Amino acid sequence: MSETADTIELARCASCQARFLPGEGPCPRCGSTEVQLYLASAIGRVLAATELEVPPPGWSKPHLLALVEVADAVRLLAVVDGSLPSPGTVVSVRAEGAIYRSRSEPESGRGEGESPRPGNSGASFEPPR
Amino acid sequence: MSVQVSAIGFARFGKRPEGLVELAAESANRALEGIGRRPIDLLVVGTMLDHGPRGPASILPTLASRLGLEAAAGYRVDGASATGAMAFQHAVLALESGRFERALVVAAEKMTDRPTAELTGEIAGSLHASEVAAGATLPALAALITQRYLERYGGSTASLDAVSVHARAMAARNPNAQFRDEVTREGVAASRPIALPLRLLHCSAISDGAVAVVLERGDGPATVRGFGQGFDAVRIVDRSDLTTSTATRVAAQRAYESARLTRREIEVAEVHDAFAPFALLHLEDLGFCGPGESAEWFEKGWVAPDGRLPVNPSGGLIGRGHPIGATGLAAIAEVALQLRAEAAGHAIAHVPRVGLAQSVGGIASQNWVTILGREGA
Repeated sequence: MSETADTIELARCASCQARFLPGEGPCPRCGSTEVQLYLASAIGRVLAATELEVPPPGWSKPHLLALVEVADAVRLLAVVDGSLPSPGTVVSVRAEGAIYRSRSEPESGRGEGESPRPGNSGASFEPPR
Repeated sequence: MSVQVSAIGFARFGKRPEGLVELAAESANRALEGIGRRPIDLLVVGTMLDHGPRGPASILPTLASRLGLEAAAGYRVDGASATGAMAFQHAVLALESGRFERALVVAAEKMTDRPTAELTGEIAGSLHASEVAAGATLPALAALITQRYLERYGGSTASLDAVSVHARAMAARNPNAQFRDEVTREGVAASRPIALPLRLLHCSAISDGAVAVVLERGDGPATVRGFGQGFDAVRIVDRSDLTTSTATRVAAQRAYESARLTRREIEVAEVHDAFAPFALLHLEDLGFCGPGESAEWFEKGWVAPDGRLPVNPSGGLIGRGHPIGATGLAAIAEVALQLRAEAAGHAIAHVPRVGLAQSVGGIASQNWVTILGREGA
């Protein structure tokens, strides 16, 4: 199973059936480690978005973040390519390494989005301390 | 067994030339003088940041030596921005165990000697790694929560401005506060964006400061009536509703239950306004008003010192300052000052019988509620 341009990978708990964003951890609802991945549509809706006036180290302006709801009410935090979307905007989402990126629909092609520079902590999912 | 706050000491919040140990000792010595330097057998220290080469190898024994408390036992806690509340509640538990007689709780932070970007990065350590990976900061996530809140309840940023105006008006009365000048709604609305809808004056500042309290067995005007803690998902995308705080609701319920009282008996409250919208959201989760109703409390002045429920008479985080590890204890200490009629210029209109302090850790992933009051009130 692999993601295509139209799909992203989501997770389902085999124990409590909760749907959630995959990560390294167990089910965020019941703690079960029996997590199954599945493919869902990469189209989502923006719940909220903001621009960080002072991006953290490794990111440059403009740095925009959106909270996006995709299939099965699963939410993700996406780096926005393009202009700041208002709530309700339909976006396509794609995974890029450890992060997600979103772009407003309907727009064809992928922009040359900014990528985190080497050394950015975004390279891996580490458990929170 | 009852435990009470019997002395309070502040090292004024703000940009201070002193280091971490000096600030902590300043507040501690004030509190110790308040009890005539009677013996302390437990020292609990709260700091959040890794002070590295700027700080001592270990703040706990350093402070024990500095204060002449080598004979005491002790520990240091870290609960992100709720560190001070965590230190307080666990000192109460230690006293309730019967093992200790009298505790000194000190919460301190030194921040202004470090670059803002470095601090923002370290504070982001309280967020989920996958969200930090996307370049999220605490203000950015707070901004997303704020948008959800305002949209859900049809609120406007004017309600955020009102929270900041209130905070600064209260801080102007408080000699321990960082900001002693008031601001206008227009001034707040015109301050520079941080992560819209949040602007500079909606956000608490980087501060130095320390606060200490002495806890001992017995009853008084500031007896610990009850307390509680709650968790929420660190990864905010795992929360189904960002317009309410599970951690605050759980902590409040546990606090009210252990105190055997209801929110109607609370006569003064300190809430964790790291960002102005947090005051709105958490006031609702503490049960003082219904969802989406708290903006009216600030609009109509019900939170004023002579209002229906005085809120943040200290100035809160926005006005008093936010030395991150000290803040949670400062909120509890403010309630104790009000109950003990020691608040002087920042006293509310009447000496309250029962008060509540709420603290938020990280992006509200570990919140704490503490209730103090006269026993039987």
